[in-house]
Amino acid sequence: MRLPLTVITLALSLLPSTHAVFADEAYTVDYHHELLGLPLPQTTFFHRPRKDDKATLLYTLSDLGVLGAVHPGTGRVVWRQLLAGESANNGTEKGFLRPVEGESTVVSAIGGRVDSWDAMSGRERWGNVFSGTVKDLEVMETPSGDAKDVLALFEEDGKSVLRLLKGKSGNVKWEYRDEAIDLPLQVSTNVEKLFVTALHGSKGAYNIKVTQVDPVTGKKGSEYTLRSLSEIHGPEDVLLVGANSASPIIAWTDKDFKNLKINVLGRSAAIVTLPLKEADGPITEVEIHAPHLIQSLPHFLVHSYSATANRADVYHVNLASGSVEKEYELPKLPGKGAVSVSSQDANVYFTRLTEDECIVVSSASHGILGRWPMKFTGKDGALIHGASEVVKRTGDAYAVRTAVVTSNDDWLLVRNGAVDWTRSEGLSGAVAAAWADIPESESLAKTLEAEAHINPLSAYIHRVNRHAHDLQYLPAYLQTLPKRLLSSIIGSDAASQTNGVLVRDNFGFNKLVIVATERGRVYGLDAGNQGTILWSTRSSKVFDFPASEKWDVKGIYVDPSKGTATIRGSRGEFVIVHVLTGNVLGTATPGSHPSVRSAVVVDTPSGTRFLPIGLDGNPGEIPSTRAPKDSLVTQGKAGEIKGLKYETSGDIAAPVTLWTFQPGPGEKIINVVSRPTHDPVASIGKVLGDRTVLYKYLNQNVVLVTAVAEESSSVIFYLIDSVSGDVLYSATHEGVDIKQPITSVLTENWFAYSLWSDIAVTSATSAALPASKGYQIVISELFESSIPNDRGPLGPTDNSSSIEPSDEINGEPALPYVITQSFLIPESISHMSVSQTSQGITSRQLICTLAGSNAVVGIPRHILDARRPVGRAPTPAEMEESLVQYHPVIDFDPRMTLTHKREVIGIKDVIATPAILESTSLLFAYGIDIFGTRVAPSAAFDILGKSFNRLSLVATVLALWVGVFILAPMTKRKQINERWAAQ
Amino acid sequence: MRPSLLSSLILLPVALTTHLRINVPSTPQLQQPSTLPPSTHATLTTLSHHYSVPLTVSNTFEFRNVTSGSYLLDVHCHTYSFLPLRVDVHEGIKLKEGGAGVEDVSEVMVWGTFRGNEWANKGEAVTVKEVEGKVGVWGFEVKPKGGKEYYIERAGFSPLSLLKNPMILIAGVSMILVFGMPYIMDNMDPEMKAEFEERQKSSPLSGGAQANPLQSFDPAAWLAGAPSTGAKDKKEDKAPVERGVTR
Repeated sequence: MRLPLTVITLALSLLPSTHAVFADEAYTVDYHHELLGLPLPQTTFFHRPRKDDKATLLYTLSDLGVLGAVHPGTGRVVWRQLLAGESANNGTEKGFLRPVEGESTVVSAIGGRVDSWDAMSGRERWGNVFSGTVKDLEVMETPSGDAKDVLALFEEDGKSVLRLLKGKSGNVKWEYRDEAIDLPLQVSTNVEKLFVTALHGSKGAYNIKVTQVDPVTGKKGSEYTLRSLSEIHGPEDVLLVGANSASPIIAWTDKDFKNLKINVLGRSAAIVTLPLKEADGPITEVEIHAPHLIQSLPHFLVHSYSATANRADVYHVNLASGSVEKEYELPKLPGKGAVSVSSQDANVYFTRLTEDECIVVSSASHGILGRWPMKFTGKDGALIHGASEVVKRTGDAYAVRTAVVTSNDDWLLVRNGAVDWTRSEGLSGAVAAAWADIPESESLAKTLEAEAHINPLSAYIHRVNRHAHDLQYLPAYLQTLPKRLLSSIIGSDAASQTNGVLVRDNFGFNKLVIVATERGRVYGLDAGNQGTILWSTRSSKVFDFPASEKWDVKGIYVDPSKGTATIRGSRGEFVIVHVLTGNVLGTATPGSHPSVRSAVVVDTPSGTRFLPIGLDGNPGEIPSTRAPKDSLVTQGKAGEIKGLKYETSGDIAAPVTLWTFQPGPGEKIINVVSRPTHDPVASIGKVLGDRTVLYKYLNQNVVLVTAVAEESSSVIFYLIDSVSGDVLYSATHEGVDIKQPITSVLTENWFAYSLWSDIAVTSATSAALPASKGYQIVISELFESSIPNDRGPLGPTDNSSSIEPSDEINGEPALPYVITQSFLIPESISHMSVSQTSQGITSRQLICTLAGSNAVVGIPRHILDARRPVGRAPTPAEMEESLVQYHPVIDFDPRMTLTHKREVIGIKDVIATPAILESTSLLFAYGIDIFGTRVAPSAAFDILGKSFNRLSLVATVLALWVGVFILAPMTKRKQINERWAAQ
Repeated sequence: MRPSLLSSLILLPVALTTHLRINVPSTPQLQQPSTLPPSTHATLTTLSHHYSVPLTVSNTFEFRNVTSGSYLLDVHCHTYSFLPLRVDVHEGIKLKEGGAGVEDVSEVMVWGTFRGNEWANKGEAVTVKEVEGKVGVWGFEVKPKGGKEYYIERAGFSPLSLLKNPMILIAGVSMILVFGMPYIMDNMDPEMKAEFEERQKSSPLSGGAQANPLQSFDPAAWLAGAPSTGAKDKKEDKAPVERGVTR
């Protein structure tokens, strides 16, 4: 144990206290949107987490695979679990979530894993992983008091596999395999039987096969087939397979929504055909709502929509005869509406929400149990679907609360018609974000300019008039004066907002963030005001965006002069919004422009422009005024990297390939990073302890390419000059787990990357690092020469060119001198970025996203110094440079965590922007959650922080003043006395 | 041996599942493991294998179906930090002694490990026991190192800390002496005052020039052979005092 103790103390001693979050700044400087994702209709419900307690929580498994419990009273998240976790690509998998009635348990399934969760604490009860993907999940109602067993239907190699999992441990009780190649659809139970429904047939035309399975042994019973070839083309055409009902049904419609077809499972292959009534035009969508409790009455509701109206019919299933009869209907109402079902013991209640009112009916009769007018504002959007809870109060009074998803991608809780809370769940699943400055009002500048250009007399009259006009603001200004004085003494937040009006502040903290989400929505957030949502625009409406598809945003370009943001998607579509209001100024639909691989902001003769790059890495011909001045680096179809330069001929400029970089055989390029667009360098050299200078290798035109070789599990990093295509430096790491995240960042004169590696003893890259397993971060610093005060081959010349590095023909390029050091870190870094400040004087901080800890940490640059002396104490000269002895481990001290106690899940990217203050950089992290903060990597040296006690300053001045007042007469008297005494 | 070989092949799929049950016990650092947040999870990593499981209701991490290998176990928790462990899982089929039959044994060994050290540099071994009543379920404990502290308090200004400064203390004492002494002298009993004054005169500290002979030492005069003025003064001064005492 002697070693780790010293290790820990050493690692702790390396951390200066300035890099932590101050206790009084936490939760005020940073902001966090704790999001779940958009709730899905089948996996959202109210459930009692405590058996004896009447209080319920709202559970959901969202479209992003986040399981969460929300307090229905406040709308706060009680607990969350990210189920669609490690591999980011499985977010499309359908998830299932079921409550276990009468127990404090909810059961979830996604992908191949089935988990049971404690409904109160969010801890896991058990979890099990199987091969195949889950197609359905049901809780098996057992009469005994034991934990209820769970049924999970899997699809394995095109075959259905049904497993009964023990409710206590999650172990398999029995397994039923269907040998036929089918599309498993669902599993349903009534009290004594199990039914597996599957789609049988060829793609595009399916019959429904219902197989009965014995619930005790898992043996196959009878099976029958329902003819539905012309009506069912895929699993989505089956409207409902009732589950956990006294009499489960399967329902689908014919092609043009004329008839509803129903089979009561387990009876016979007879299909009941029910006509669907039109409501103001042809029906566009049909939904069926049925209770999910075995003791509930077998009633169900058919909700049909047309383009303008919606109506509903309630049907009863006769348990004895198996016939289906219509009981009553709910009248046609205009607009969209949401119907939800809730059951209490045998009673089944339907809650219908429309834009005007909220009604509750019992399934047994058409009498309305409760009716409330909807207090809705127009901006809430149309209601899509909901989950409700009906509570019977004393007598015949009822209360209902419904969690509704609206077309604005908001999640609201409507209690008796009034909106209790709103969660902006649409903000989750952000795929791109960009910083935007608040557009400055230029009216004053314009008038001043105008006054300068007209004749002096009229200018004078204009000015007097203007000043007279300005007088009307004087009373308001005088009114705010005491408040301002007081606030400047007490020291309330300097960046506080003037009510509702967005203005720039002196520190540059008030900025906007434009966020585009995968659901095709664009948000504008106010970073200066706790990240509140200013506006949201649904671009998908403009694009006619399919709901199943994700918006693949390739880039956001903010034009500061116009105050607009252009968002480009992968299929050639773009939308231009105003950054302050979110008004859509221009769009292009998908397909109207060629598909885009990436989009880049370039400097052209006609100002900065947003240049889309085609799939093959070719941006195509463009007018010469729009052609970029600099060379471009693009990635081609086969993954090769190309350097492009625009050559102008007349009005047209065409890209010319300067060089192509192909990685070695078996290698695949996974990432290319360049220096950030805003990357100022304050000092071109590093002053050493003996007052000599090590000159930094500062080349704007470098890219860092990450290539992996799967067979040899190695990673190769290439540093490439983007003008000449020369490889300036390369590093190979062996024994790397390439399934784990490999991230890299390039800035100033250094680059860093992190990976998981099983380091062998003979590791070539770093002799200092002992053989070990784990994550590591590698930092490389580039200098012009290894000798101080020497500028290498570039020194004597005034100009240098990457293409012709020296006078001799085919000369070698000037290679940078690279110092590399590796550090071991405790966990994987899923994303890296670097803080940015306006002048680059402040040292940079490496911002790392830790997916495992749900945190974002900032590693100070001086810890990640490649020049730290290895194996010896630093010499006095090195101490002067504040170099500390190398230690192989960087322990992520909790005080390095920028997110402090907040748990930030699913962060994909962190973007940084400089504030006006040199010390401060603004950060914005997005993904599932949204998090933003300010960092001061070299401490806040140019602002009076909260540590500055204004009150004590004022008190000191006052005390001195009082002292002077008391002492002045005393000294005066003394002087007079002295004079008298002397004479 | 043929039947035993055959049975070993049948047993093989069973042997390929090692189940680890890692318990978080109640320790002085962490009295109530049930207070750990639900996001607490443990990971087992080795080259191209990565397992992650959340903390269960019974304060355990359940790793099902772990294959052979040497793993690094990390516990990620938002409120407590844990030390990493090395977990070696060796599955295999061992012949029982005497060759009587085949027994499938999955052995699990756990040690502490140190980041930045050789993988072979193992720390204290952690006892691993097969969980009672379960075959192939191996249990061991992982203990928290300590709580996580995310914030630093700002060192605020307090007048008391200013007063504790030794310079201020010295200045304060000398202030009291300078300003306080005259008052004390004035309020003193006249006899006592006289006595005090006499004592002050006799003490070497008092009287500045008289007290220190070196202070008014004239090196030039001394080198010239003249008797020291200071010494002279002292002698002259001493005489009246002696007289005073004898009187």
